[in-house]
Amino acid sequence: MTIPQYDTVFQQVETLLKEHAQLQAPIKDDTDLINDLGFDSLKLMEMLEEVEDIFDITYPLNNLSELHTVKDFVLQIQQIMGGE
Amino acid sequence: MGLLDKLDKVAANRETLLPEGINPFDVVIEEIHSATEGTIDDHRVILAGTNNYLGLTFHPSCIEAARASLLKEGTGTTGSRMANGTFSGHSALEKELADFYGCNSAIVFSTGFVANLGAISALAGSGDVIVLDADSHASIYDACKMSGAEMIRFRHNNTVDLEKKLRRLGPKSKNSLIIVEGIYSMLGDCAPLAKIAALKKKYGAWLMVDEAHSMGVLGDHGRGLSEAVGVEKDVDFIVGTFSKSLGSIGGYCVSNHPELDLVRYISRSYIFTASPSPATISSVREALRVISSQPQLRTKLWENVEQLYRGLEQLGFELGSDPSPIVAIHVPTKENALFAWKAILDKGIYVNLIFPPAAPAGLSLLRCSISAAHTSDQIDFILKTFADLKPMMTTAI
Repeated sequence: MTIPQYDTVFQQVETLLKEHAQLQAPIKDDTDLINDLGFDSLKLMEMLEEVEDIFDITYPLNNLSELHTVKDFVLQIQQIMGGE
Repeated sequence: MGLLDKLDKVAANRETLLPEGINPFDVVIEEIHSATEGTIDDHRVILAGTNNYLGLTFHPSCIEAARASLLKEGTGTTGSRMANGTFSGHSALEKELADFYGCNSAIVFSTGFVANLGAISALAGSGDVIVLDADSHASIYDACKMSGAEMIRFRHNNTVDLEKKLRRLGPKSKNSLIIVEGIYSMLGDCAPLAKIAALKKKYGAWLMVDEAHSMGVLGDHGRGLSEAVGVEKDVDFIVGTFSKSLGSIGGYCVSNHPELDLVRYISRSYIFTASPSPATISSVREALRVISSQPQLRTKLWENVEQLYRGLEQLGFELGSDPSPIVAIHVPTKENALFAWKAILDKGIYVNLIFPPAAPAGLSLLRCSISAAHTSDQIDFILKTFADLKPMMTTAI
């Protein structure tokens, strides 16, 4: 599978985050999903299902412990795409 | 940030969610009168929110078995199964459970939660993959984390999503354990187990079914969903609990794989916790005999389920699943659920209140659990009460 560029993944993630976020905040690399965007576990799971569909990947729940910022998220998606 | 600061958020949430005087998560049953009646806040109420599916908590022979054991063997084992906590009754129960399921081996744990922790964390490890249903019980999620295996979840009861995930695993599917439940505790729906078992075989994976809510309830002999849909030979591991149909406390895992016995040696929740008391074990052994010898209890349970489910359906409530001993009523908001729950209690019925994140998909639910011990009059009273309070449960606050 070809891994898309960081910016390409970022743009798709940005759209999703805006759709699911509970708080309004600018979407930047260091934006925190919980503290800045108000994600709780349920909302995060809903969004992950869409991420899996959009990128045609399986997101292991083990990754959640390292998921804090938008940058973490984009890099994780790239890493999964590279490994599958 | 101090150690306890994180609890400020819990306190704030509690303040928001629970108006003064209503705390459904702090209910005390001041007196228990029978399998279906108790006293709460000085009022005698019908218990329609327990997991006492066959009503065995007050079965005379189960009580007598526990009493005899208590007098003969004392109040507790004071030790773990691995040390001094295996009495003859524990070993006998394992043999009887294995016979009940027609399996080679069984392990008894101290609770159902602990059974999942102990079995799953021992069976799967680093390098393995666990593929679990999204609506799995908290004990399954915690066990998966403890195992160190890669955790993948598939959408609830969605076999298309499950197959997609198994396919993506490639050769790793051979090292994958699929975990599903017989009846899911929040909505009362069953897993599409025949299809899941077929996928398990197709991809060479392993399959575990948690029959906590379906043991004693489904199947001609009460062995659960695996028996009911005829896939027992394809299920590698069954886990379950003594705290629902069996009317006591404890948990178990059964399997035809001889390796199950080795789980005892690496399962921390088996090794490092005290074993069930002798009285508990004796009541469970007797309850297992009752389940095997009195199928009429299951017949009565399903008659009661039909009466409640069809009654609620005719009243126009939105229900969580097909008929099942767990009948979940959807209500529009948390506030509806909370105030309706209190009104139902004040009218003399205890049901369960379920908020997100415990409830799936952001739902707010009032959950009834039906028992074979409920009388038809009790169920009529529940239906009349729900009819009277319907506006409170259907018009968004």
